Amino acid sequence: MGKGWPRLPVWGFLLAFVLVLALSARVAQGQDLPDAGQPTDALNALNEGWSLVEPNASAVGIPDASAWVLPSTNPSAAISPATQPPTVRQAKPPAQHSGVIKTILGIFALLTLAYLGGHAKVRAWEERLGISQMMAAGFPFVVLGMLAHLPSVGVLTDETLVELDPLLHVGLGCIGFVFGFRFDLRTFRQFPAGSERLVFFSTLFPFVLALALSAAVLALVSPRQDALALSGPLFLRDALILGAAAAMSATTAKRWYRLGKTTRLSLLVVRVEELLGVLALALVAAYFRPHNVHATWQLPGTAWLLLSVGLGATIAALTFAILQTATRGPEFLVLSLGSIGFAAGASGYLHLSSVVVTFIAGALLNNFPGEYHTRLRDTLRRLERPILLLSLVIIGALWQLSDWRGWLLMPVFVCARLAGKWWATHPFLHSSEQKPLTKEERYELGLSPMGTLAIAIVINAKVLYPGQSISLIVSAVLGGGLLTEVFVQRAHRKHAARLRAERNLTPSPITFGGMP
Amino acid sequence: MNLAILVVLAGLMQAIRSFHVPYMGAGLGTTLAFGYLLLTAYFAGTLFKAARLPKLTGYIAAGIVVGPAVLGFLSEPMVQSLKIVNGVAIALIAMTAGTELEFKSMRPLMRTITWITGLAVMGTTVLLGIAVFFARSLLPFMANLDTTQSLIVALVLGVVMVAQSPAVVMALRDEMQSEGLITRTVLGVVVLADFAVILLFAITSSIAKAVLGQGADVLHTAGALAWELFGSMGVGVLIGGLLALYVSKVKEGAGLFLLAVAFIMAEVGQRLHLDPLLAALAAGMLIRNVTDAAPEIQHQIESFSLPVYVLFFAVAGANLQVSVLATVGVPAILFVLVRGVGLYYGTRFATALAGAPKDVQRFAGFGLLPQAGLALALSMLFSKTFPEFGADAGALTLGVVALNEVVAPVIFRIALIRSGEAGRLAPVIDAIPAEESGLVDLGPEKA
Repeated sequence: MGKGWPRLPVWGFLLAFVLVLALSARVAQGQDLPDAGQPTDALNALNEGWSLVEPNASAVGIPDASAWVLPSTNPSAAISPATQPPTVRQAKPPAQHSGVIKTILGIFALLTLAYLGGHAKVRAWEERLGISQMMAAGFPFVVLGMLAHLPSVGVLTDETLVELDPLLHVGLGCIGFVFGFRFDLRTFRQFPAGSERLVFFSTLFPFVLALALSAAVLALVSPRQDALALSGPLFLRDALILGAAAAMSATTAKRWYRLGKTTRLSLLVVRVEELLGVLALALVAAYFRPHNVHATWQLPGTAWLLLSVGLGATIAALTFAILQTATRGPEFLVLSLGSIGFAAGASGYLHLSSVVVTFIAGALLNNFPGEYHTRLRDTLRRLERPILLLSLVIIGALWQLSDWRGWLLMPVFVCARLAGKWWATHPFLHSSEQKPLTKEERYELGLSPMGTLAIAIVINAKVLYPGQSISLIVSAVLGGGLLTEVFVQRAHRKHAARLRAERNLTPSPITFGGMP
Repeated sequence: MNLAILVVLAGLMQAIRSFHVPYMGAGLGTTLAFGYLLLTAYFAGTLFKAARLPKLTGYIAAGIVVGPAVLGFLSEPMVQSLKIVNGVAIALIAMTAGTELEFKSMRPLMRTITWITGLAVMGTTVLLGIAVFFARSLLPFMANLDTTQSLIVALVLGVVMVAQSPAVVMALRDEMQSEGLITRTVLGVVVLADFAVILLFAITSSIAKAVLGQGADVLHTAGALAWELFGSMGVGVLIGGLLALYVSKVKEGAGLFLLAVAFIMAEVGQRLHLDPLLAALAAGMLIRNVTDAAPEIQHQIESFSLPVYVLFFAVAGANLQVSVLATVGVPAILFVLVRGVGLYYGTRFATALAGAPKDVQRFAGFGLLPQAGLALALSMLFSKTFPEFGADAGALTLGVVALNEVVAPVIFRIALIRSGEAGRLAPVIDAIPAEESGLVDLGPEKA
């Protein structure tokens, strides 16, 4: 965890845990809490109708849900608007509350543990192990989510994940908006001479390599009837998602080479990759929609694509107008949160990609004239941390660990992606107009970790199309992200040490830089 | 401009809601409802402010208009799923209220507060009970009760209808930047009255159950009540200590930590039969009176609580069933008037007895009129406790709350302005701590 992370006194949290444990013990022992019954449960009544877990939620007649969703062999774990029928919300009898309390305290404990990672001793330990940057990238939260989803832990159960669905949508929307808001058209006006080829190859190679190798592996190990058969629209859909995730990267190498800031070339490459990734997701959301005769809007794929763009532009225009009215920080917070929630909710409601719509809105807002940019940027900085960390926990919980093909795909994906990135920076491929890459630039571009947007895109695809094949891609990308971080950071560390010895450089402080 | 934004938002919502796939899960609707309600309520609040009305009435009105009762942009399940903010908002409001209650500065006011609580609040409870008893011919659900039964049920209804709202008082105090004897007295009374109302409801409803032949276990009820009151305060003191420790030792990420603690207090507390309001209040009082962390905690809550409050009042509005006023309108209006008269003149009388300044005597009573969270909760609880009275009884109490929720904040706002206490506080600090940033590099700043 980087700058800005709390360095906690461990004993302070011991007190928190004593409290948590005391309450947990009370629940776990199944003590008869004084059943206040009707006279005293004033706030219970106020909260009636909402509960984090609905253990007895029953399916209320879903005659043709399959018409809306693609086939899924493991539907229970997927968060999907279509696979989750409307739940019957009822007040829980006291006996059922213990599970809810366990869940809430579990989530609190998870967050507390994650915060403990910010302690100076823990950070020193991370540095010694060479995993500090990986920790900074938020991967501990993914791992915590993964652990919390294990049946033996049982904190983030499938039912809980369904209840947390809105949070995930807001999280995805927030990530899309934040990345979109970084999208500055001026970056493209100052294209370094001859860099088009570099951008082209560094996007194409990992895309093609990851896709080809992953498809080959899956074709070898999957049964013929599997959705990943090398033909048909499903393959094309999955190919777009996997390839887009492989092509995307984050600029974290600046920490190691003390370049002051990310080089323009590197920034350009990353921005183009992000744009292509979002475009791929927009295509996936528009052209691979399952046919549903009961839906009130029957539109062709291109219309859905245009609708995504139009919705993003409308939200941008609306947010632009909205932000003109805000004068104080708290008002900016309300309006930013409301705009992002509305954009994410609207796109989710229409079964479009939240990431795409909010990315478009954010990108347009960043390029509109006005005086709101700095304050909106500050507000986003404030919002993104809690939302993103919680989203990462949920994303970790969505990771399906049981399918061995996902584990097999993971190293293949990592190797293919890194090989593609590295080869794309080979001088042989570059145009004669281009200034040769420095060693640092080649390392930065060729050995780049994966960014949060790549993970968000894959998760958004899973939300849109819950199913076996997307679950495999999630496994490959999430696990691949972790593996890539470890590998890349070790490689950069060694290279930076060599450079330091040559130039007497020292590393700059760690930033929360897994995301560019 | 604000009106135009509201119209555009409504148009977009209408268009989006026209897309329909059978058996679409409630989760997506929740996100949409969250964003839409937050924006709509905020802009409705600014319109109300321009019309010299309280913003929070605007939030509530927005909820009513776009909710299931009127335009139906938000469906019933959407509103239900947004109730998650209720507990968090109540915990935050109560904690802020607690941090305002400094024993040293409150001591001179205690005489007045006690007199108002004892005379105005308790007196109005009895007055409402009597009004219900004599108006029982207007209430079909009391038709089959004998005199004793009618009396005790009337008293329970009196307790339900007298409840005040610390949330509204706090929100209006913040909105109006109000500070002074009246503000502090009202805050003290509504907090103390909350204790009294919870206690009274427990006692009267248990007696009513026994009288109605449902049976009541006195020991069990006493144990439950003791657990709720003292358990809540004990847990609150622990949490207060923890929060003070966090703010003084850790500092960073305090906003997120506070929010998480408020959520835990609300969700875990209510399942352990603790009252999050009392727990948060105790936490706040400990922080104010025992530690030095109160200003920092108030600042942290202030900087991120606005979305929670906006949503809380808007959801409260969306929950109101305006249609019930058509069926119970006449008795509801009658009881609103009785309650208003009782609280206002009871306060005047009590403050005169306590020797309070003239301004307090004139204006403090208006602060007791607003109703929100606790009154709604008691109203729902009444329906749940006495299902034999059917929907009409719940509709009556909800109708009273609905009227007070919309009208009373306007009256209290005027009172704060007339008393001269509005605008005495320093403006809200408009700062976003830079140290909380840094998760994602948002790129170069625009020129």
